Amino acid sequence: MRIGSAKQSYAADAALFDSVTQQRWALAGGGLLLLFPFVASEYWLYLACLVAINIASTMGLNILTGYTGLVSLGQAAFMGLGAYTTAILQLRYGTPMLLNLLGGGIVAMAAGVLVGLPSLRVKGLYLAIATIAAGVIAHFVFSHFSQLTGGTAGLSVPPAMIFGQQLDTSFRLYWVIVPITGLLLLGAANLFRTRIGRAFIAIRDRDISAEVLGIPLLRYKLLSFAISSFYAGVAGGLFAYFFRAVTPESFPLLMSIFFLAAVIVGGMGTVLGSVLGAVFMTLVPELLKLVVSALPLSGNATLILSPVRTIVFGALIVLFLIFEPLGLAEMWRRTRRTFHLWPFRT
Amino acid sequence: MTINKRELMALGLATAASGWAPTALAQKAAAKAAAPAEDIVFGASMPLTGVFSFAGIAIDAGIKDYLTILHEGGGVKGRKVKYVVEDTGYKVDQSMAVFKRITSANKVNLYYADSTGFVKTVNPELERNGNILMTGASFAKEISNADKYPLQFMVGPDYSEMVAILLRYIAQTKPGAKVALVYSDTEFGRDPVDAARAGIKALKLELATEIVTAPGSIDVTAEIVKLRRADPDFTIFHGYVSAPIPEFINQARSLGLKSQFMGTFWTMDNATVMKMGPAADGFLGVMPYRYYYDTEGKSPMLERIRKMRPDYQQTGYMQGFLAAMLLTEAARRALEAGNELNGKNLKIALSSIRNFDTGGIIGVPLSIKGNSIPIGRIYKADFKAQKMLPASDWIDLNK
Repeated sequence: MRIGSAKQSYAADAALFDSVTQQRWALAGGGLLLLFPFVASEYWLYLACLVAINIASTMGLNILTGYTGLVSLGQAAFMGLGAYTTAILQLRYGTPMLLNLLGGGIVAMAAGVLVGLPSLRVKGLYLAIATIAAGVIAHFVFSHFSQLTGGTAGLSVPPAMIFGQQLDTSFRLYWVIVPITGLLLLGAANLFRTRIGRAFIAIRDRDISAEVLGIPLLRYKLLSFAISSFYAGVAGGLFAYFFRAVTPESFPLLMSIFFLAAVIVGGMGTVLGSVLGAVFMTLVPELLKLVVSALPLSGNATLILSPVRTIVFGALIVLFLIFEPLGLAEMWRRTRRTFHLWPFRT
Repeated sequence: MTINKRELMALGLATAASGWAPTALAQKAAAKAAAPAEDIVFGASMPLTGVFSFAGIAIDAGIKDYLTILHEGGGVKGRKVKYVVEDTGYKVDQSMAVFKRITSANKVNLYYADSTGFVKTVNPELERNGNILMTGASFAKEISNADKYPLQFMVGPDYSEMVAILLRYIAQTKPGAKVALVYSDTEFGRDPVDAARAGIKALKLELATEIVTAPGSIDVTAEIVKLRRADPDFTIFHGYVSAPIPEFINQARSLGLKSQFMGTFWTMDNATVMKMGPAADGFLGVMPYRYYYDTEGKSPMLERIRKMRPDYQQTGYMQGFLAAMLLTEAARRALEAGNELNGKNLKIALSSIRNFDTGGIIGVPLSIKGNSIPIGRIYKADFKAQKMLPASDWIDLNK
């Protein structure tokens, strides 16, 4: 607990920001996000949008895996469903972007409920394998329902329009993608201040005990799948507008593993962990690339160092799993605690 | 002072974070200093790691070697070509990141793209940018649509044209032959299938069967039974690099199947075919370029390549070499016409190429009419010589 911020009511205890200092930091962070597009190059804006999309999807998976304890390898498939739905709505009906994103989220949510049904019978690795089927079925649908999905060639998405502005650059897309991700994060943070969120956590900690406490497992497990898939669907819709091309191969199994790794590296069962995990998994390979390119090397250095970079990235993930199983979020919390107690702890 | 594991990790993370901002600034400054206005910048999103790295490394070497030769001859109208390449791991999001990074730091005019997915994704950005002419590793039929992809082209025939070249060869060798199509259930595999069906019908051949498989190493026993029942004279594989072609060929031969097996460009590297084993002797396929060891006729560029690199160079190397040659030739023509270097002028300059001598990389002079160059030749595997040898003359689908 921060020195001098004793809670005097339950509401204060459950508040999103537990101190004025934290509110100030959050405001400063928001300010930086507002300033960022005006100082960053197209490259950094591209990465910011990509990170935001990945954060949205990682948050969705964290709700399911981190908070409810249901392991899923179907996140990419749900993103694909969201992306295709958004692309089809945009191409065929020209409906507004936000409505298309909502549509993408709802279709993915419906699929999530279906895929979640086996979760009543199976858990852990068994459930993970069951969710892989979602990816296989989704890939089949994407490549074979050609009239709707464009078959193996996929769909090219026209740029979205908002207030007469074409969202065709990373700068313009930033103003849509980042706020939507912010809203999704806020939604997730608030979810775990409610009965539903606490039910998810109870199921994760011990599902039999949760049922004894009066939590209907079927309803809440499916609800968790639905919310998680909704997040993935919206992230998929943002992906469609961002990359402007959606093909069956845009959402491979490897992508689901990427999100699962982001959840684990960031910290399971924390909103901050989703953010830090997605940032780590997306940006560290890029930062390693920058470090390599900044080295005073010539000739075939890129060629030789490229595999080394991949190995370093892999090693970093392994190191995190060994030395900080609670993820980056725990490291962040520990750093914060150090400052909370300052100067009484050295 | 002692330091525990957790503190060590925190320190590492802080160091990485603090390295970010200065690196970005240094990168901008370096880009400004390193790219004088007169340099023509040639960017590349290249798969130097990942599943396609075998080709990416070869293509990269081909581009670098051609640019070395070009600079020895004075560059492009006296201007140097600065080659900026970065690894993509053959992932579309990383290819886009590389594109954004290179184009943010340089005024890029020429670009090499690593995959069909990236080419499709980057197309709107390319049109918005307007300064770049792009080619790459994709031979997807969709890219040969010049209306949809006005600032791109491919260094050879598209996949449908590759299959058309094979079918033309089949129709000439054995009119009315039974042809089987075996392809992977991927965008790459399905790309030429519709065109292949139409081509088979148009050339009065017979479609014996179609077999769709997963890519990579798989059990093909059931598919072999299907193939044996259809008993085709020719079997065309597409959508694979190697596996499961060797499994198909070995099992088919052991069952006494006489079908002549064929492949398209990415299968046709000498090393790839020879690794299939002795059963692949006589394997046929379409190649848009000559092999490293081809010595027939006059081929100064091939001789130069052999001098620069005494060891065998893959077919991907030839593709990269020719890509650099055609991109810089377009730049030369645009500058000679007194035009500004931008995507539109570069594409016009590229399309003005007629009867162009590639120095032996392609065995006939080439003319560029659309987004593809529909020329290829049938080569046959000679397992004893460990070489792919010509089995036909050059086939130009425009003729």
